Amino acid sequence: MTDKQRRIGVYVCHCGGNISDHVDVDQVVAAAQAEPGVVVARQMMFACSDSGQGEMERDIEEQHLDGLVVASCSPKLHVVTFRGVAKRAGLNPYEYTQVNVREQASWVHTEDAQGTTDKAISLVRAGIARTRLTEPLEPIVVKTTQRTLVVGGGVAGLRAAIGLADIGLGVFLVEREAELGGWVGRFDEMYPTGKNGRALIASLIDEIGRRPSITVFAGAEMVSKAGSFGNYQVGIRVGAASPETLTIEVGSIIVATGFDAYQPEVGEFGYGIDGVVTLPEFKELIEASAGPLSYHGRAVRSVAYVYCVGSRQGDAEPGANAYCSRYCCAATVAASVQLASRDALVHQYHLYRDMRTYGKFELMYTESRKLGSVYLKFADDAPPAVAQDNAGHLTVTMRDLLTGGEELAIPADLVVLVTGMIPCKNDELINVLKLPLGRDGFFNEIHPKLRPVETVVDGVYIAGACQGPKNSSESVASGLAAVTQSAVILKKGFAELDPLVAVVDADACTACGVCLDACPYGAIEMAAVTARPTAVISETGCKGCGGCVPMCPENAIDLRGYTDAQITAMIDGLLEVAVA
Amino acid sequence: MTAQVDVRLLSDIQRYGAADVSACFSCGTCTATCPLVSEDATFPRRMIRYAQVGLRDKLLSSKELWTCYACGECSESCPTQAEPSEFMAAARRYAIASYDRTGLARLMYTRPIIGTLIAVILAAFFALFMYAAHGPQSTTSLDIFGFIPEALIHDLGIVVMAVVFLAGLAGVATMVRRLGTANAVTLRAVVGSRAALRRSAGALWSALGVESLGQRRYRADCDSDASLAPWYRRRWFLHASTMWGFLGLLAATIIDYGLALAGIKATGTPVPIWYPVRLLGTVSGLLLLYGVSMLIVQRYRGVERSVRHSTAADWTFLALVWITGVTGFAIELALYLPSAPAWGYWLFLFHVAVAMELVLLAPFMKFAHAVYRPVALFFLALAVHE
Repeated sequence: MTDKQRRIGVYVCHCGGNISDHVDVDQVVAAAQAEPGVVVARQMMFACSDSGQGEMERDIEEQHLDGLVVASCSPKLHVVTFRGVAKRAGLNPYEYTQVNVREQASWVHTEDAQGTTDKAISLVRAGIARTRLTEPLEPIVVKTTQRTLVVGGGVAGLRAAIGLADIGLGVFLVEREAELGGWVGRFDEMYPTGKNGRALIASLIDEIGRRPSITVFAGAEMVSKAGSFGNYQVGIRVGAASPETLTIEVGSIIVATGFDAYQPEVGEFGYGIDGVVTLPEFKELIEASAGPLSYHGRAVRSVAYVYCVGSRQGDAEPGANAYCSRYCCAATVAASVQLASRDALVHQYHLYRDMRTYGKFELMYTESRKLGSVYLKFADDAPPAVAQDNAGHLTVTMRDLLTGGEELAIPADLVVLVTGMIPCKNDELINVLKLPLGRDGFFNEIHPKLRPVETVVDGVYIAGACQGPKNSSESVASGLAAVTQSAVILKKGFAELDPLVAVVDADACTACGVCLDACPYGAIEMAAVTARPTAVISETGCKGCGGCVPMCPENAIDLRGYTDAQITAMIDGLLEVAVA
Repeated sequence: MTAQVDVRLLSDIQRYGAADVSACFSCGTCTATCPLVSEDATFPRRMIRYAQVGLRDKLLSSKELWTCYACGECSESCPTQAEPSEFMAAARRYAIASYDRTGLARLMYTRPIIGTLIAVILAAFFALFMYAAHGPQSTTSLDIFGFIPEALIHDLGIVVMAVVFLAGLAGVATMVRRLGTANAVTLRAVVGSRAALRRSAGALWSALGVESLGQRRYRADCDSDASLAPWYRRRWFLHASTMWGFLGLLAATIIDYGLALAGIKATGTPVPIWYPVRLLGTVSGLLLLYGVSMLIVQRYRGVERSVRHSTAADWTFLALVWITGVTGFAIELALYLPSAPAWGYWLFLFHVAVAMELVLLAPFMKFAHAVYRPVALFFLALAVHE
């Protein structure tokens, strides 16, 4: 056994009382001290504090530690912190084990002090057992192709392409439609600045034209993806009349495929009646006319807006859009201001559930009220009704919560259904990219706050409204975030990956192929590396999920950092206390 | 019943003031901060809402309009600077104009220049009318009724009173019918039984005695500057001083007339200052003049939040009361002078003309609150007693 040779340091954190209020830390330290291979065992008020980290670093250097265990909080919070401690003190970061005695002991067992302490001790023993078997690991270095594919030529994709080109990366821009520009390219006046959407798009296209490192494929689609992180081979189908498929090599992919507008069913809030239109239709109507509005030849003297059509639908309905589309409140308020400034006499009624004109858009909301718009609030469970009389006049009836639930009738020449955003129909692309979708059908990021444009597929980023409802400036911001993330992996020409991946013992492998089906990432293939074919796991494709390990009938696969031997030792460590 | 939304109401009310109220987004901070809000009367938000949505009937049937004493607390706390207090004042003006069937009030409020012209012309008309019947100006003693015959003033007064009574009654009837319907108060519920009568009497005492004469809530709840000013400079006292002074003068006039009818003292007979009726009139006059002068000064300075906004209607009312008070005192002064000055006669003519006008225009201007507010407070008291 190698136990005798290990020199492990164990640190038990009080977490300022979060742990020590329910766990007897002295007992835990004493138990750790008694474990074979442990040369230092200490307690700390806050292990993550500068002084705590410094003390550990000193111990590692002075006591020549070759293993580190910190019993504190969830590894999600601090595994990176303490791996950093190890690295700074000259210890391989993968010799570090985090034991979670806060979430797994003190926070969840507050009634039984000795039981909680016993559990903490057994968890620490398991951590020490694992650490006795750790090995130094080095990050996997992958050479990357310094080109990016941008899928989608809307405002987010166009701006991202320019950003990528400006930091020196090659860009392929693929747009399904024949023209670049997306939604913004169809708008004239846009909120909140009144900037012209078509002009914005024209200037972006002009900028793209001036950058030779950007190759644009319009009327084209991404049809296949092969390769792995840092080096993808992507098939692009171009040419509508005689389609052919090109293959390009890229290091990263930015998906900016945008959104579709919600299309109401006929009869939904009166949709289908002459004079009932959706928000995009209304926007087109405003842009097509100058001065006071008219619809089908009739002057529009009053407009009723019904908010949240197709958004924030009840969870109960299957396929309901439970989410808020975020942009529609501000877009509608902006449209009403636009209309009022053209026609001071037009009457405008806004029937809403909650006004969500967040941030600076609040000012437009105030302006719209000052210009005479009337806002009426209906209850979630009592939506307004749109009806047409024999003479063709439209009336919207609703109960206004702000007027004591009074039933009100609103005569309107035009009823605008304020429709939100829905995910694009993109089945082929979703299939090719293997990107997970959220419950709402939009693409999912890894972490909404900390990794907002990254996806579970390394090197594939999402930007703009394909991720969820966004306005144009938010879309551009996420597009540029995706540019930065591409730069992180492409600019150096190589990228480093976590070495915690599965490896095959080629001698033990019988090439049965079970693991190929078990891998959700397609990272395993049969290859004749030696004389006979065996399973080969791509270091860059493997996510370290461990799915293949228990499937192998020959036990020929091990997961680095979580080897069978380590896991078995941990279980033994846990049982040791349970029996005692 | 489904009501039709009508955006014209708000812009109509805005002609009576309250230009900023469109900024209101119904957060309800005003209602939360108002010291007078109770379960039986919630405002100003609800009133603003009625105006925004166009529920004219609801608004005009709201006793809440008159439950407010315009302390200005709500305007101070309003997050959108929508000036709810100013809106309440404008809505009261709108209500006065709406209860009035003649359209005169509306004209006076919404066309300040025409309104002022009407006031001047009307005063001039009264003066000329009385001057047409004038007699000699005695120089030995100030024989005012020798100059303008008492009978003429009396008869003219009766006519003016009758007109005011009819116009006022029509307005009050309109208001009572609206408030009665809105608050589900029937005639039977007011006088239908002994219990109802007892309840009504209690409500009447609350409205007229405790709240109007006693100014209980104005004094206790709405005194926004309570900690800043001594009692004699606070809004409630200035208002009470003016009101008590006015009522005292009214009482003195009626008693004087009663004494003449009873043959004890003919109207216009010189009496010493300590003569009870004269004393009542003098003290009342002093109260009135002090109150109204201070109200004018405060409004002019505009420091206090309740008078930060002023309309022509506010000034017209204050000016007419002040002129009536000052000229009355000047006449009293002239009466005690050894020889009768000529200006005393002209001042008397002016005094009577303005006083007539003040009474005649009462239902069509801010003065009308003296009747409408107690009516609303009566309904409020009924609701509270329920």
